[in-house]
Amino acid sequence: MSPTLPSLSRRGVLGLLGAGALTVAGCAPSAGGSGGTKGVSDDGVKDFTFTGWSLNEAATKKPLADIVAGYEKSSGAHVRTVSYPYNDYLNQLLLQVRGGNVTGVAQCDGAWLATLKATGKLTDLGAIAKGAGYTDASLALGQVDGTQYGLPWTSGAIGMVGNQTLFDRAGIKAVPSTVDDFEAMLVSLKTLGNGIVPYAAMTKVDQLKDIIPWMWTFGSPVVDNGKVTVGDDGSVEAVTWYKKLYDRKLIAPALDRFDARALFGQGKVGVYEDAPVGRGAVVAAAKDKSIADHLTPFARPVQAKGDKPVAFAWGGVLVVLQGKGSGAAAKFARSVTADQATSAGYFVRTGNPPTTTRALADPKVTADRFVSDFGKRVTVTARTDPFWAYPQYAQIEQALATQVQAALTGKSTPKQAMADARAAMQKLVDG
Amino acid sequence: MTAATAAPERTAAREVPRRAARRRGRGARTGALAAVVVIGCFGLLPVYWLVATAFSPTGDVFAFPPHLVPRHVTLAHFDNLLHTPKLLRYLVNSVVVSLVTAALSVVVSAYCAYSFSKFRYRGRRSLMYLVLSSQMFPQALLLITIYLVFSATGLLNSYLALVLSFATFTLPLCIWMLKGFFDTIPDELIEAARVDGAPNRVIIHRIMMPVAAPGLVAAGLFAFIRGWNDFIFALTLAGPDRQTLPPGLVNTYVGEFQTAWPDLMAASLVTSLPVVIAFVVLQRHLVAGLASGAVKG
Repeated sequence: MSPTLPSLSRRGVLGLLGAGALTVAGCAPSAGGSGGTKGVSDDGVKDFTFTGWSLNEAATKKPLADIVAGYEKSSGAHVRTVSYPYNDYLNQLLLQVRGGNVTGVAQCDGAWLATLKATGKLTDLGAIAKGAGYTDASLALGQVDGTQYGLPWTSGAIGMVGNQTLFDRAGIKAVPSTVDDFEAMLVSLKTLGNGIVPYAAMTKVDQLKDIIPWMWTFGSPVVDNGKVTVGDDGSVEAVTWYKKLYDRKLIAPALDRFDARALFGQGKVGVYEDAPVGRGAVVAAAKDKSIADHLTPFARPVQAKGDKPVAFAWGGVLVVLQGKGSGAAAKFARSVTADQATSAGYFVRTGNPPTTTRALADPKVTADRFVSDFGKRVTVTARTDPFWAYPQYAQIEQALATQVQAALTGKSTPKQAMADARAAMQKLVDG
Repeated sequence: MTAATAAPERTAAREVPRRAARRRGRGARTGALAAVVVIGCFGLLPVYWLVATAFSPTGDVFAFPPHLVPRHVTLAHFDNLLHTPKLLRYLVNSVVVSLVTAALSVVVSAYCAYSFSKFRYRGRRSLMYLVLSSQMFPQALLLITIYLVFSATGLLNSYLALVLSFATFTLPLCIWMLKGFFDTIPDELIEAARVDGAPNRVIIHRIMMPVAAPGLVAAGLFAFIRGWNDFIFALTLAGPDRQTLPPGLVNTYVGEFQTAWPDLMAASLVTSLPVVIAFVVLQRHLVAGLASGAVKG
């Protein structure tokens, strides 16, 4: 009914808002890079604000409220909570930070850290992280240019998850280790019929960045020392292979992760890619809840035997914003992320894997077969998305995704599409 | 014989084109009916799907292929609403903000529109287009500017912030809508009142405003719905305590990993009732107001 902006979709409006917020952040005199980074100082203020998207989500709301209440009781601090929906979170946080209207601790997706760092309002948490026992991989999730801006809260990977029931029905004895085996497995799954999508790979532009690990698999570094290498043999081969799966209907058009989870939950998908915490959404969408017992995580197949499998690193951190109460906020962030009982308890209730070696070894965590297997088979192969280092990472990945989709739909050849993608991406990387 | 047979032949000859015309008429009516049904389905299917999803168990919602008619019916999602008290707060905020926006828009735009329509002064036309030009800016750009201004003036996280920001969009359109309406009211009415010695104040409030009531209702409804539906301004400017329904519902039901579609649909169904009721009650005025303002003369 709204008559405003008939020519702009909501996505467009939000994108513009994000770009505007970034511009405001970038142009403001106090905004800056690492030069403005301050460590945390205890100013004696006990109360602070906790901003996040998990504070209001059905799966995490109650466990988080309990953690906050417990901390308030033990520390005597008052924690004010502010929540924004995940999809709008970064834009809102950027505006609030630039407007000087938010301090304290804030939840941050690993992908957004460089963007948030560009505001110049994050504190260096290196001293706070010391001795907390975080794993190296999870610590890396909270770093930009070597500085520890975030304390890792949950960390894992986005990896392959199979439906063991369908594997058994298709006579698949072992999960595939090479791309050829994988393709053969998809063909077997396809023969089951009944509308089953053998591999619910991402084919919507929003999440087509998932092709990057396949490009790694086929030997492309994707980006190397600030030089985009998309368009090289490995990336073209990966897109050509992806298109082959698309043309043979082994992957389906216009799928995103939300669709993939819902279809997987209905037993209509053989393999899809997700973080371990996505299991909750799969089970919620399933009529037969026992599907939780049939999830099989496995490492991404490699091009040739002996190659190392790869996966996208995934996770979230807590950052502390400069301003009143930053010392108290940092103590809270460390308690939430590194206290063994807190993080293991949070895992049990939400499925978010913890980030310290002690919590990962906690019986509550190790007793979970799926997460334990996922950690051993997938998380160990995780590599950080190389574009997360750039504040404009979303636009860079959008440029890649648009061209991959052009290749999939036949509007361009894989070679031409990747050459076009490289030109657009390099322009964005160079700023 | 000739005369006797010629008459029925003439009648029969006249009947043929009549029957053809009737057939054409029936064909046109059937075509129109089919078009109405198709367009109606197109418009109502999303509403039907909202209702069907609200009453379906979660497992059924994601069934593939989907069921057009729910196989099982549940009230569990409506029961969940009762255990989500903050929805009531969002609802109250939405009602307050939308009503105040509508009232403010109607009052201010009525005077502006009357001035534009019935007075002639230097710069009138430029001013009219200046008012309209605020509609040409992307919403997000205005939002950033408004955010910074409200932040500097301490207006953030208040009802006033929402009302003022909504008014930036509702006022221009309400002014233009009401100007069109006032243009249809003959100037002779004003002149007759003047002859009777009525001052401007009386002419505006006692004569023009009652005549313009359908237009005022239409403008008010438009502003109300605009305030009710807004997402991005409310999300950015309202803060947690003044959040309205659209961001509140998204914040509650749309998550990082999943969306609680049945709960969201149940909440949407319940919370849309006030607008539906207002629309049903006032639709006569809305149609009259929009139609009258649509043509000049």
